[in-house]
Parts: sequence; structure tokens; C-alpha cells
Amino acid sequence: MTTPAIDTTDLTRRFGDFTAVQDVNLRVQAGQFFGFLGPNGAGKSTTIKMLTGLLAPTSGSIHILGEDLKQNSADVKRQIGVVPEGMALFGRLTAEEYLRFVGRMYGLDRATTVRRTHELLDFMQLADERKKLIADFSHGMQKKLALAAAVIHGPRVLFLDEPFEGVDAVAAGTLKAMLQRMIARGATIFLTSHVLEIVERLCTHVAIIHRGQLVAQGSLEELRAGAARRASADRGEVTPPSGRQDRSLEEIFLEVVGTDRTGNPAAAAPEQELSWLS
Amino acid sequence: MAELEAVRPAPFSTRDIPARVQLLAVAWLRWRIFVNNTFRRRSSSKGHAVGLALAILVRIIVWPFLALLVIGPIGGSGYFAWTMIAGDHPQRLAPLLAAITVLWLFVSVNGQNVAAALSSFDPSSLIRFPLRFGRYLVLRTFIGLLTPSTIVGCLALLAAAIGIGLANPELALPALAVLAVYALMNVFLTRMIGAWLERWLANRRFREIFSALMALFAVGFQFLNFQRAPTHAVGGRSTWVMNLLHSSGAGLRWLPPGFAANAIIRQSHPFAALAQFSALLASTALFAAVFAIRLHKQFLGEYLSEGASRSANKSPAQRRPLPPSRAGSTAGPVPLAVRKQFAPIVSACLHKEWLTLRGNGVQMIGMLTPLVFVVILNRSVFAGHSTYFLPGAIAYVLFGVLAGLYNVFGADGLGVQLYLLAPIRLRDVIVAKNLMSLSIIAAEAGMAWALVSILTLTPIPLSTQISTILWTVFVIAVNLTLGTVRSIQAPRRFTPGQAQQRRTTPTNRTSGLLIMLVLFGSMALQFPVTFLCRYFGNPWLGVWVFGPLAVVSIAAYVLLLLNADRFILAHRDVFAEELCKI
Repeated sequence: MTTPAIDTTDLTRRFGDFTAVQDVNLRVQAGQFFGFLGPNGAGKSTTIKMLTGLLAPTSGSIHILGEDLKQNSADVKRQIGVVPEGMALFGRLTAEEYLRFVGRMYGLDRATTVRRTHELLDFMQLADERKKLIADFSHGMQKKLALAAAVIHGPRVLFLDEPFEGVDAVAAGTLKAMLQRMIARGATIFLTSHVLEIVERLCTHVAIIHRGQLVAQGSLEELRAGAARRASADRGEVTPPSGRQDRSLEEIFLEVVGTDRTGNPAAAAPEQELSWLS
Repeated sequence: MAELEAVRPAPFSTRDIPARVQLLAVAWLRWRIFVNNTFRRRSSSKGHAVGLALAILVRIIVWPFLALLVIGPIGGSGYFAWTMIAGDHPQRLAPLLAAITVLWLFVSVNGQNVAAALSSFDPSSLIRFPLRFGRYLVLRTFIGLLTPSTIVGCLALLAAAIGIGLANPELALPALAVLAVYALMNVFLTRMIGAWLERWLANRRFREIFSALMALFAVGFQFLNFQRAPTHAVGGRSTWVMNLLHSSGAGLRWLPPGFAANAIIRQSHPFAALAQFSALLASTALFAAVFAIRLHKQFLGEYLSEGASRSANKSPAQRRPLPPSRAGSTAGPVPLAVRKQFAPIVSACLHKEWLTLRGNGVQMIGMLTPLVFVVILNRSVFAGHSTYFLPGAIAYVLFGVLAGLYNVFGADGLGVQLYLLAPIRLRDVIVAKNLMSLSIIAAEAGMAWALVSILTLTPIPLSTQISTILWTVFVIAVNLTLGTVRSIQAPRRFTPGQAQQRRTTPTNRTSGLLIMLVLFGSMALQFPVTFLCRYFGNPWLGVWVFGPLAVVSIAAYVLLLLNADRFILAHRDVFAEELCKI
């Protein structure tokens, strides 16, 4: 059995008396394009921060490529690339300077850093802006630069927090092609996005987090089969399930997060509120 | 698709990245940020040449004053060290070293906000790179070392070593070695305090307590100062200083300043000197260790903020439906009295400003502290100068409040987009913000006036009172006008009550110096006029000077308000970019 690329056990994070993430057990196999979904405030970014060593878990363990993140954080960080929520760029550097800095921090030699910097800037269509301060970049350009910085050292696991937000369609297509090329070469990608169509098209496996807890995890086929089973059970049918097997990810997502932990409908009837809207 | 070398996952390597490579990379990063901050402007910056010329001009004026502030402690340390050793008072060396440490800490703690604002680089962000903790510790120790506190502190210690060496050449080398370690001890001490303060100041309640303590410290020191030396007799004050030196010497024997001083002056007893030096090394190691413990928590991914939003934990069913009467309101529960007096937009903005102010305990403390100083001013600077006391007290309490007029949109940040998008007149927003500022100013000035009336034993002449009112109106109107202009032309985003702020632009920094000049200038105008009143024996001269000035400045402010919408639209690029850029 191969070592999972990402493996968490009872991962929990509390902020005071508020539990943001509770007992999350994630298992992402090497080579998977993994989508991590959840409504706003569900705990996606908190989980990604813990998986990349930016936030300490309150309890539980994280293993990346078989290495304990807490024990060997430097070794693990060397194998991963991250596009964090806020991108964490240095605004007073130029794009070229930033990529050179990141390359050196990941231990690339000078010549390799310079070569990859130019390649990435060309690839991301930022070559004409290489001397411009990052602070002057648009949001989409900053996103592309953050992605370039995340892959400059050839990571084996890539964490992407909303990577396509603010990126134009042309660039998004290029980025998707690059990510799929990475998967084909054995990298693992862990992606969060609110655009379920993108996740459905790119990801082979998906996990859904809701109010800090994992409520679904598996391949898209497994999630569809699970949804069909639940639909059959609701109708009181016995196996085999007769529910639809071709549900979209959006339908599955809404079904999974549409009820609260006690099974009550989460959303109040919309006509009760905002009745003044035309 | 172009072939990218980087998209090939690198084989797993446990070979360590050489420390030299990462440390040099960070040093290079710092250098590039410095170069870009110094020589490059944002592409959107307008009027580059004018701005640069103004920046140079302001620096030519200001830097000599700053240089004096630096040269003072350095020259003083060298001189006092020399006199102590040459005058056979070596026991006074420990208080001198303690004073340097206090200065070092004071400048460091107060300079942290400025450093954070200027550097545009948060060293804690380095934890996302594959660094070992040892390297992170080294980087966090050395990043930002070239701050005024370290430079002044190190140069003061060097000057002290030179002073000691000149007084007694045999002590030159030991002094140099011991004070080098003492400098290192101060570096770790300030780093340690800075790191723990950063942790504690992440909590709003602690920030308020800390502000209150700092205010109490400043006030207490001033009280102590005038209680000890109620008159201006230099001899009395110097005697008090000497007594303090003597009494503190015994206590300092068990602290790092005492260890360092004894390690230098007890050279005739090598073992005793060595023991003192070891104690100094041990305290240096202790501070470094406590600093490292704090950093290790950060390194492991400590969360410093106040806590995650709890709203996420609420299910939609828990949300309370809006009462029908408020469903269409955008401003929340605006007090009836306010709604009756002002237009809906103004009252809504006023209410929002009040909510912001009410939640900011640090600002509340900042407003009360100057009033305590009015009492101190009565006993010190203005003792026996009752003519100057009223305008002096008003000027003192208004100084901090008026400075806030120059960046009224800063706390709104991204929220200013609402003002630009909503179908409202921006003039109403400015009026609301200025009304809130004027309420604070009126309250502060009123309380200062009442305090002066109570503290002054003789009645304040009517001419002085009217002159002061007109001067106050002039100062407020001038600063309101220029403040509103600068708030639109060069806004700076900030979070009220937070220690670490978004970095300022070079335009903001130049603007800041100009603002200081206008503030000082408009306030200082009172004193030559008061002097001329006395000189010519005409107490009403001030009224004739400040009356027309007040009218003109109010007219300028009204004119600005009438054109506010057009002015903001003309500057909306800078306005929106500075406040809304993520």
C-alpha cells in the first residue's frame, strides 16, 4: 500500500471556545486531484493553513508524504507548494525579484532559479511586467504570480486556496492545463474552490466540510453513489438504490450541507425574509 | 503549452538547504525592499517630481532635529562615562547603563509601529518557507536590527566604552568587550519584550490595559518630576538626579547593568570581574531563551488574532429575523435625537462613527491622557505664565485630536467603496465625520478650559478668552480644511487600536511631515501673538489678528465642502486605490 500524500488523524482546531475544525480525518492518495469543498466559514482555509504548517492544530496529527508535519516541518515544506488565501506576496518587490527570492528559499541554485523564473513569467504571461512592483499588479496577476511562486521548486503536493478567483478565462485555461500536467507527472493537488463546476471538471476526489466536520469524502463516483443510496433510503427502498447516479457535484454538495447536524432544514423559507426585494 | 521544468515534481530530498543560501536570500529580500522603497514609486503615483522635491525639502528640515535626538544620548553617554571613571565615581556606571537600556527599550517599543508600517515585510511570514527553527530564530533576531533604537543604543554604549577608555586606558579593552555583550543582551531583551508584546497586544483588552499603563507611566513620571523639583532650580533637579543615581546603584547590582558595570570596574579583582561577566552572559542567554520560546510557538503556527468569527457557527435558523421597521434601514438604530437634527445620510454616518469610537478603548484613553497633562503643565511649563496657560492647554489637548483629521477615511478601508457606489453626496459623509471629530474636539477643549479655569487662581481676562476662542476656531477650521484635502488626496488605511498597521506610502510619509508642520505652525501662532499683546500692552490685539483668520479659514472650509464631491471624484483613483487595494 502506497503512502498517502496527505493523511490527517482527528485534526482539530479551536479558537477559544469556537471549534473551527473538528476531528477531520483526510486521506489523499499521491497523484490525486483533490477538491476540498464547503460553505463559507466551514473551515476550509483553517484546514489548509494547518496542512501547510501555517497554523498549529489544537489536536490531531498531519502527515504529508509520510512525514509528520510537526516533527519535520522544514522537510515537508520543501515538498509542498502553497497558494494561500491572501497570497502573501511582498508588494515592494518586482515579480522577477519575488520569484528569485522564493527559488533561493527553496534551495534552488542561482542558475536554476533564474531559468525557472523566466520560464514561469513567460508561461503566466507576466514577462512584460517582470520589472513592475507587485503592489501595482491586478488581483488576477497577483494570483498568477502566487501560483508561479508555489510551483517554482517543483512541489510534490500543491495546496491551492481559491486559485482561479480573479483570473481571466484565458489564464484560467492555461493554469488548469498546467495543473493537469502536474497530476500526470505524479504530483498531488489539494484545491479549494467555490466554483463547483471547476472542481467537478478537474478533481477526481472530493471532500466536503461543513461546520468544521467532514461530511463526505471519496471519489466523485462514490459521492454520487452515496447520494443515490440516501435518496433510496429516504423513499424506504431496499438495495439496489434506484436514485439518480448522474447527479452533479452541486446537487450533491447542496444535499450534504443543506441540513444541519440534527437533520433540520438549515435555511429558513426564503419568502419569509427579504420580502421587500422586487 | 510551453514545457515547464518546474511542473515536474522534484524527488524527495532530505538534504538540508544550506543555511547560507536562505540567510542570504532573506538579506537580499530586505535589500531589494529597501531599494524599491527608496528609489521606486508606485506606477500610479502622480506628481512624482513635486512629491520628491517636497520629500527632500521636508527631510532637510526635519533630519537635523532627528540627528540632535540621536547625538544627545550618544554624546551624553560618552561624557558621563568619562566623568564617572575620571572623577572616581565608578559606582554610577550601572545607572548610566540602565538608563541606556531604558532608552533602548522605550525607543524600540514606541518605534515598533513605525517600523512595521515602513518595512512592508512581516518576518513572521517566513514560516511558510522550509526553514529550520534555528535559522528562523537567527532571522528574527537580525531582521529589523538596523532600527533607531539599536543604532542609538549601540552607539551610546560605544561612546561609553570610549569615555571609560579615555578616563582609564587600562579599562578600554574590558569595557569594549563587556559593553559589546551588554549590547547583545539589550538586543535580546528588546526582541524578547517585542515578541511577547506582539502576542499580548493581539488581544484588544490587553491593548487597552497596555495603553492605560503607558499613559500612567508618562503621567506618573511627569508628576514625579514636578513633585521633586517644583521650582525651576537646576540645582534642586540635579540633586534629585544624583540621589536617584545613588539609590538605584544598590538595586542594579543584581541586574544586568550592575553585572556589566562591575565586570568593567572590578578589573583589579579578576575572579570577581569574571563572575560578573558570567552573570551578564547568563542574563543574555536567559533573554535569548525566553525570546526563542515565544518564537518557537510562532514557528509552529500560532494564531495571534482575537479569534475566529463566531458567526460561522450559527445556523441560519438561529438568525433572528429583522423587525419590519428596520428591514429597510441601512444605518441600524440611529438615536432619534440625531435623526431629527441631521439628514438621514449624515445621521447614519454619524452613528457609524460613534460605534467605531465606542469600541476603541485605546482612543478613549488617548483622549483622557492630555487632560491630566494640563494639570502637570500648570505646575511646570506654565507655572507663573497664566496668560499663556489657556491657549497652551487648549493647544496641548487638541494636538492629538487634530492630527486625526488628516486621515478621516483611513479606518474605513475597503468600506469607502460604499460611499463611492451609494447614491449619496460625499459631502454628507465628510460632514458626518467632521461633526464627530468636532464633538470630540469640543469636549476636549471644553474640559481643558474648565480645568484651566479651576487651576488658575486669578480670573482669565476676557480679551484672552475671546482671543483664544477665535484662535481655536481658526486652528480647527484650518486643520479641518487641510485635513479633509489630505484625507482625500493621500489616505492611509489603518485598523483602529491595532499595533501593526499597513505600510505607508512615501507620499503619506512626506504628507505626514507636512501635516506636523501645519499643525505646529497653526498652533504655535498663538504664542508670538500673545507675546505681542503683552509687548504693545494691547490685550485685544489677538482678537484683531485671529478674528479675520477664523472667518477666512471657515470660509475656506465651507468652500471645500461645497466642492467636496467634485474633489473626491477628481481624486478617486488614489482615494480608492490606497484604501481598497488588497
